[in-house]
Amino acid sequence: MYKKIDLSMEFLGIRLENPFILSAAPPTDEFDIAYNGLKAGWGGVILKTTSVEGNSVPLKYPMMSSFGSMSRKVIGLGNIDLISGYHIDEIEKRVKILKEVFPEKMIGASIMGAKKEDWQTLVGRLKKAGVDLIECSFSCPQGSMGEEAGRMLAQSIEATEKVARWVKEAAEDTPVLIKITPQVTDIVEVAKAVKKGGADGITASNTIPSLLGIDINTFEPYPSLFGKGAYSGLSGPAIKPITLRTIAEIAKNVDITISGNGGAFNWRDVVEFMSVGASNVQFCTLPMHYGFRTIKDLKRGFAHYLSDMGFNSPLDVVGKALPNIKSQDELPSPKTRAELVEEKCVGCGLCYSACSDGGHMAIDWDSEKRLPHFDEEKCVGCAMCMQVCPVDAIKMNEKIENSNNVHYFVEKR
Amino acid sequence: MEEIEKTFSKEQAAIEAERCLYCYDAPCETACPAHVPIAEFIQSIRTDNLKGAREIIQEAHPFIETCGRICPEESFCQSVCTRIKMDTPIKIRELHRYITDNTDPSENLELVPATKGKIAIVGGGPAGLACVRELRRFGYKPVVFEKKQLGGVPANEISATRLPEEIEKKEARFLQHNFVSEIKDIAIKSLGELNEEYSAIFISTGLSGELNLDIPGNNLDGVYYSRELLKRAKSGFRLPHFKRIGVIGGGNVAVEVASVLKIEDPLRDVEVIYRRGTKELKAFKKEIEEAIDLGVTFQFLAIPKKIKGDKRVEGLVVTRAHLGEKDTSGRRYPVPIPNSDFIIPLDAVVIAIGQKADVYFPKVEKNAKGLVKVSDDLMTNVKGVFAGGDIVRGASTVVECVADGKKAAQNIAKYLEGGKNV
Repeated sequence: MYKKIDLSMEFLGIRLENPFILSAAPPTDEFDIAYNGLKAGWGGVILKTTSVEGNSVPLKYPMMSSFGSMSRKVIGLGNIDLISGYHIDEIEKRVKILKEVFPEKMIGASIMGAKKEDWQTLVGRLKKAGVDLIECSFSCPQGSMGEEAGRMLAQSIEATEKVARWVKEAAEDTPVLIKITPQVTDIVEVAKAVKKGGADGITASNTIPSLLGIDINTFEPYPSLFGKGAYSGLSGPAIKPITLRTIAEIAKNVDITISGNGGAFNWRDVVEFMSVGASNVQFCTLPMHYGFRTIKDLKRGFAHYLSDMGFNSPLDVVGKALPNIKSQDELPSPKTRAELVEEKCVGCGLCYSACSDGGHMAIDWDSEKRLPHFDEEKCVGCAMCMQVCPVDAIKMNEKIENSNNVHYFVEKR
Repeated sequence: MEEIEKTFSKEQAAIEAERCLYCYDAPCETACPAHVPIAEFIQSIRTDNLKGAREIIQEAHPFIETCGRICPEESFCQSVCTRIKMDTPIKIRELHRYITDNTDPSENLELVPATKGKIAIVGGGPAGLACVRELRRFGYKPVVFEKKQLGGVPANEISATRLPEEIEKKEARFLQHNFVSEIKDIAIKSLGELNEEYSAIFISTGLSGELNLDIPGNNLDGVYYSRELLKRAKSGFRLPHFKRIGVIGGGNVAVEVASVLKIEDPLRDVEVIYRRGTKELKAFKKEIEEAIDLGVTFQFLAIPKKIKGDKRVEGLVVTRAHLGEKDTSGRRYPVPIPNSDFIIPLDAVVIAIGQKADVYFPKVEKNAKGLVKVSDDLMTNVKGVFAGGDIVRGASTVVECVADGKKAAQNIAKYLEGGKNV
């Protein structure tokens, strides 16, 4: 048989057989579905956010809308979901059974409350049920419950710290993650508040408040419920760049464990998330789109990557990219020029179009040979031509002034 | 008869359009004789702007329904698609057809008033009608002389399996209704028949004659000529119920006749008999493949020597050939192998070896094949008389005839307006 590569790791004192977690979302809202996910090989599960019995959860359907090209309609997925309609009594039962059937997997639960008593009751009951980890939703785009209903808890630094403290007080030695939103002025301040409140880690981050689309004939928002719509929480590949920035900002500024969440769609994204500081990665849109079988490629792709790179554990990747992320003014100033790899060029002329109408008019077009010619004097090295080239036939040649140090900037996708 | 090729679904069109690189100075557009802005209409498919896409094509090309079905893309646009260097070319003609199948030609039509002189258009095929449309757009009054129905070869001969009658009729009706000032049901054979009412003349009579196969037995019952057969098929007459038919030739017409005969009766044997080899076939690859799919068989390197039979066709005597040197057409010539005659048993023979021009218009200069000679601006030796399409080029494609019609109209206007560009 093939060589097995160990993907197991420690996370807040919990042993994870792999760093791929099913996040608190529709794929973990039914017992059977969560069960099937764990059976399919996911490393852990965070059951969809639950609340005390008195809370009503008025879910509305249709709940989802998406955008993307015809051939891949779900580049971004929007939902007008709320927390689970199942209350803590049901979740307690599920935690007990799942923990019994899957003692090796991480069984987590997500909670949301209105007042201190709710939060602490939820924690106490889950702890008793045997949960490995508690995640607190401070960031559902449809709003939190309580005094400031409709506003996300993590948008207030004071509230974040206060509620994190309530939860941690009740959780004692059970690890607590606070799930925050990227929709704030200063993510670092929020992360600091989480730490100050005593929580063990941060889930960075959540879906992003959005408006998925408008029917241009009827002017109904998507998803349309009898012609009316609401702002959605956006997930999927569309938000990956925002999540990457959120994780990196926290990791660079606050010493706290991070669980990455929001836009990871394959093992390559996992490497990126972890390299900017996440210790594991949560998934929702991927299994919602293509099912739990996607875990196979995640595990194999990541394992082969670790092996090819000479890493021994997933944790070896964590934070690897952070030293390279600087502020704009800290960056070196290479003299950058576009360079054509002529044997790769197919002669489509898109670089010429981009440079003449959207760049610096530094490319001439030979219509006979269908070849671009780069004018080194006019080229400022913006790299737009490289971005539009369909066959990666353009690379950027970078030199530091008065130095022989030459570097080629080539984006590998 | 049902069309062989189906139109793209919205999903197929979107995926195919997404593959287009939207090349600058796109090679497909240069390769299109009618210079249709292909990259632009594909971009409009991407944004689901089909009306806009139709406008783009219609601006450049009056025969858009027809060409969306029968244009030999493998010879023109698709043959130079940049995507070939990466994987496979964009299916440009199919995208073109997707637009025409999902839009209406009459929308957004705006005509300038016809205030200028009358122009005589002799022949209402693709070249003639393309010229009509351009002239009408410049404000001239085109008068068409046509004995048959408008539309030329596509309307009268191309099989309904490739170009359904309702499509080609819709197109001709649209052009006639909006652009033709008058139709005269007269066959014009000399310039003298046209009175002085006309400011200029465009000859686009096409090729009306058919090349004869000069071998014994060519007058037997059961010997047919390809165009006559296609015309009969097109007008709905059932073809004779022969069970073994040989089609002599290797061009598009021969292959099309063979396909039509096979579709009409899938149980009959239809064999294309060609004197050269597979590489020398002139028919378009796609049509050959379609014929093979239908069950048409091919007999290569077989030179017809005699049609056998008493009163009716009983078979074809052929001589086996091998390929010799290249001839003037650039293809290797068949050399008969002595004592290699054999008989192909047949009940009917269709001769499809090419078309010829009927020699009309005595004052107009022609070449040895009877084709009209023109200068670069498509003017004949007679001032104010222009010509284009098959009567100038020999057998060609609809899109090339359209290109000629457009070009002639521009040059007619330039000629009449004292060299001014219109």
